[in-house]
Amino acid sequence: MSRFFQHAGYSRRDMLRSMVAGSAVMPGILDLLMASESRGATAAAAASANPLAPKPPHFPARAKRVIFLFQPGGVSHVDSFDPKPKLNAMDGKDRLLGSLWKPRTWGSHGTQATDLFPHIAASLDDICLIRSMHTDHNDHFQSTLGIHTGSVTFARPSIGSWVSYGLGTMNQNLPSFMVIAPQLPYAGTQVYSNDFLPAYHQGTRVIPGPDPIRNLHPRTKVADVQAMELGLVEAFNKKHLGHHPTSTDLAARIRSYETAFRMQTEAPAAFDLSDESDATLAMYGLKRGQTEGYGWQCLIARRLAERGVRFIELIDVGAHNNWDAHANMASHGPLAKNIDKPIAGLIADLKQRGMLEETLIVWTTEFGRTPHHDSPKGRSHHNRCFTSWLAGGGVKPGYVHGASDELGRNIASDGVHTHDFHATILYLLGLHHEKLTYKHAGRDFRLTDVAGHVVHDVIA
Amino acid sequence: MMKRTTSIVCACILLAIAAASRAVDTSKLIGVDLWSVKPVQHVEPPADGEAAKWSSNPIDRFVRAAQQQRGLTPVKPADRRTLIRRAYFDLIGLPPTPEQVAAFVNDKRDNAWSKVIDELLASPAYGERWGRHWLDVVRYADTAGDNSDYPVPQLYKYRNYVIDAFNDDKPYDQFIREQIAGDLMPHADDAERREHIIATGYIALSRRFGSQVKNYPQYLTIEDTIDNLGKSVLGLSINCARCHDHKYDPISNDDYYALYGFFASTQYAFPGIELLRAQKDFVPLIPQEQADAKLAPFREKIAAEQKKLDDLLGQRSKAQKELTAAKNARSKVKDDADKQDVDKQVTELTQRVDALRKQYKKQERVISSARQNKPHIEDAYGICEGKPMDVHIQVKGNPKDKGPLAKRHFLTILGGQTLPTEVKDSGRLQLAQWLTAKSNPLTARVMANRIWQHHFGVGIVATPNDFGNRGKPPTHPKLLDYLAKRFMSDGWSIKKMHRLVMTSKTYQLASDNDPANARIDPTNDYLWRARVRRLDAEAIRDTMLAISGKLDRQPLNEPHPFPSPDKWNFTQHRPFKAVYESNKRSVYLMTQRIQKHPYLALFDGADTNASTGQRDASTTTLQALYMLNDPFVHEQADALAARLIDGAKQDTQRVRQAFEMVYSREPSEGEVKMTLDYLNQIQARYKAVGSDQAEPRRAAWASLCRAMLRSNEFLFVE
Repeated sequence: MSRFFQHAGYSRRDMLRSMVAGSAVMPGILDLLMASESRGATAAAAASANPLAPKPPHFPARAKRVIFLFQPGGVSHVDSFDPKPKLNAMDGKDRLLGSLWKPRTWGSHGTQATDLFPHIAASLDDICLIRSMHTDHNDHFQSTLGIHTGSVTFARPSIGSWVSYGLGTMNQNLPSFMVIAPQLPYAGTQVYSNDFLPAYHQGTRVIPGPDPIRNLHPRTKVADVQAMELGLVEAFNKKHLGHHPTSTDLAARIRSYETAFRMQTEAPAAFDLSDESDATLAMYGLKRGQTEGYGWQCLIARRLAERGVRFIELIDVGAHNNWDAHANMASHGPLAKNIDKPIAGLIADLKQRGMLEETLIVWTTEFGRTPHHDSPKGRSHHNRCFTSWLAGGGVKPGYVHGASDELGRNIASDGVHTHDFHATILYLLGLHHEKLTYKHAGRDFRLTDVAGHVVHDVIA
Repeated sequence: MMKRTTSIVCACILLAIAAASRAVDTSKLIGVDLWSVKPVQHVEPPADGEAAKWSSNPIDRFVRAAQQQRGLTPVKPADRRTLIRRAYFDLIGLPPTPEQVAAFVNDKRDNAWSKVIDELLASPAYGERWGRHWLDVVRYADTAGDNSDYPVPQLYKYRNYVIDAFNDDKPYDQFIREQIAGDLMPHADDAERREHIIATGYIALSRRFGSQVKNYPQYLTIEDTIDNLGKSVLGLSINCARCHDHKYDPISNDDYYALYGFFASTQYAFPGIELLRAQKDFVPLIPQEQADAKLAPFREKIAAEQKKLDDLLGQRSKAQKELTAAKNARSKVKDDADKQDVDKQVTELTQRVDALRKQYKKQERVISSARQNKPHIEDAYGICEGKPMDVHIQVKGNPKDKGPLAKRHFLTILGGQTLPTEVKDSGRLQLAQWLTAKSNPLTARVMANRIWQHHFGVGIVATPNDFGNRGKPPTHPKLLDYLAKRFMSDGWSIKKMHRLVMTSKTYQLASDNDPANARIDPTNDYLWRARVRRLDAEAIRDTMLAISGKLDRQPLNEPHPFPSPDKWNFTQHRPFKAVYESNKRSVYLMTQRIQKHPYLALFDGADTNASTGQRDASTTTLQALYMLNDPFVHEQADALAARLIDGAKQDTQRVRQAFEMVYSREPSEGEVKMTLDYLNQIQARYKAVGSDQAEPRRAAWASLCRAMLRSNEFLFVE
């Protein structure tokens, strides 16, 4: 109960009632306030034409939602999930550069990975590696755009926007597509842009810290003034709508204020970790009270997933001081340490809550890195071959799809282009990538352009 | 301001058309029956019957006749307050002041309405509003769109050129020609030359790509030019013919590369890029001789540094060849001692190649910084002549895969005009003339439709950038042709079109619903009432500033406060990123390509990467959060509250004033009472809390203003 109501000496409920009695103020917002007072009652969710209402998939889905982990700059495949003993043996010959991290066998399937990501590697039994990824461009901006939108040249809607457009979302009090990113990667806001899709589908950026979403906190200092303002707005709007009873635009706008009003409560609750146990915080490597760091991003991702957000993207670093290890591969060390335990914690936490099977985790980057050195200790960009992985959401656990050659230079078998990767993600969500189309500028557009094949081999 | 050159240019057009006609084979094209490529018909508005009785305005006659066929009846005319608010937002994007509303409401003369229209068309704010519509179409941004998103400080000149062109009612055909070939057009004086060069900013502002100077993807920039030219002027998706013949419309792969040649023959100003962090090839606005003289030492220095760079490249490739040879030799050597020699040689050569690579990169940086110290001359982000050429078809859009040569010509379906033999330059002037020839069926139709769309919310063709087979067909084909003809015969005057449209009864209808009509035509395609439209991003922001009294109406006649060019070190790792606050109209906000402007993105602002023919009007929760909690909204509400409190002595008067300012109407007695009750409640609340709000009264008024700014009546125009 707010300070004001206590001060005024009567209950909030009485106060709310008197507001109605005193003037024409309130109705809709009042319903909401009363509903939240009486707990059990559900707010009258106006199910009017809502573009974000859940939509059925094209066919039964394996995954209900996606957590998309994107690492900017280009994570080296040969130093992480695709180790190459021969490369290490040839270190120094023909400009080849051996790895600083030692290959080991992990899990019950005998999968090889280095100890760059020891916690993730220890979870390989839950992960499906794809060691034969390739993309069309060898520069950051273009390949970042490619892995997010399917286009390496022109701006197009992001995969998160496509999924939001295809499936809607489960929780109408939170955005359908949220991007938790302390900094922006290459291509800036284009990575989560709705582009030509309607704006409902644009990613909402969450910036780790005390104020993760813009304008989320009421600016009016006295409690309930905002509710009263909205009550007045509603009275004005109702009168106005009376002249335009058929306008869905006007009705939708009224509804958006009700949603925003609830989001002011719902979203901060999602960001409030005080109800998490010490054991859970420890899984993500988090200290109590911490409001940033990759562990925070991962735990928030789980909480948003629980609350029905359809597509959650995490970006660990920005467009510089990232995985772009031209100078020295050793820079991968601290970057890996930053994300390793939190990601393993996320997998384990989803698993223990029974959420992993319906949540698709995607781990990817822009491209891999060359087997040869660039400067003496670093590697250059390598789009011909790299590794990404999937977990949960209907993919084969503990499986390895595709292979690179013995130096990690070219694909040896079962290449997976970014279009194929996207087609597969959509398939797991019950969407046919050729049927998820949007008409724009006179033709139907797709995430996968005119290409893409579902990689059935990775599906359980 | 009408230019003397117009008539010269018109004469040129006739000559060009006469000289370049050729037999055109359209048999291989797809979709040749497309309505929009057929000649614009001369049609008379229905002259008798109910339509003619209803109105003498030709638009009304077409509209009413179409309604009659469907059994629709127009609703009543809008009242004067609704009408003036509609006119203000349509023409200048700002609300009328209470005084302006009162003057119109009380003006009983017959010409009261046309006087309002004329006043608005004469206001500089008109160009700011309608110029913005054109900036949408040409995907204007203040940055280049390459991986580092280099800023282009000079682009404000093009933006202001567009605003001025609308204010001056520059004939639309001339406006198009200047933007495509201003540099090649005759000019009466230096001022006109300058204006023409700035106009070519339209071509220069095509998107830029990548980070590198070597293998710079100019073909993508040219694709963007053609894509935009097609959509903006012709309403055609020409770029669909880049990789193959267009699948739906009569545009061949050859047509695409025939157009490509005009732009391959053109030099675009270069805005800077990660590996060359300085502008080059900007077009001087001072006379060329003066510019040459001033730039001579600079150019010499650059040439000398460039020569060093070329030398380094030569040395490097020589060393690289030697290295390859040495490596090959090593595999053939048997003797151990010889092997050691060769190994030593390989090591040395590897080191040399590495060293040369480093020197090369260093020299690139030397050139970059030398370029950053270019002597200042006034210039524009425009284009000039390059090396005239025809290009080969790029098979499947791959620039490395050459197909047959495509000689420069105009779209086959629109006549296929070729360049007269005496034309030895890029041919852009001829292209501009073909585009704006009165025989071209698309240019006038497309623009007439755009004007219509911004008055009625939806065009006669609902897909303003696509008049192709996949676009929507016109709801009123005869009316569209009438408007297109009239547009051309009225000297391509956009202001005359506004007058014609706004003096129609159709434009002046109320937005009332009518169940009988709604059953027949639920989407109001046949205009039996006015559409209720949401304000666009600029109008929302500008209006809040206007009624808070904080709007700075002065145009921005200088570059945005970008960092100085000698400090440009933008890379794709650290791209240029900025948001510049301003209280000027939103058309003057700095917009970027890679980084969306946070406010404009929220309210469906124009796409800065591709032509926006029509804005979305989405309704999102984040917009509501913005209106609830953003400091900007609270600041405007506070300022408006202060204006209201200071502006009248009694609360009742203040409430009336609030309604007049925010909604352009008087409140009903019930609304006055409700509002006063509300103010009392809020004040009581603040007092009871003993909050730190210094003045509960001010706080209550601010609260009222916030509520009004969030209401639909504010956000929508009827």
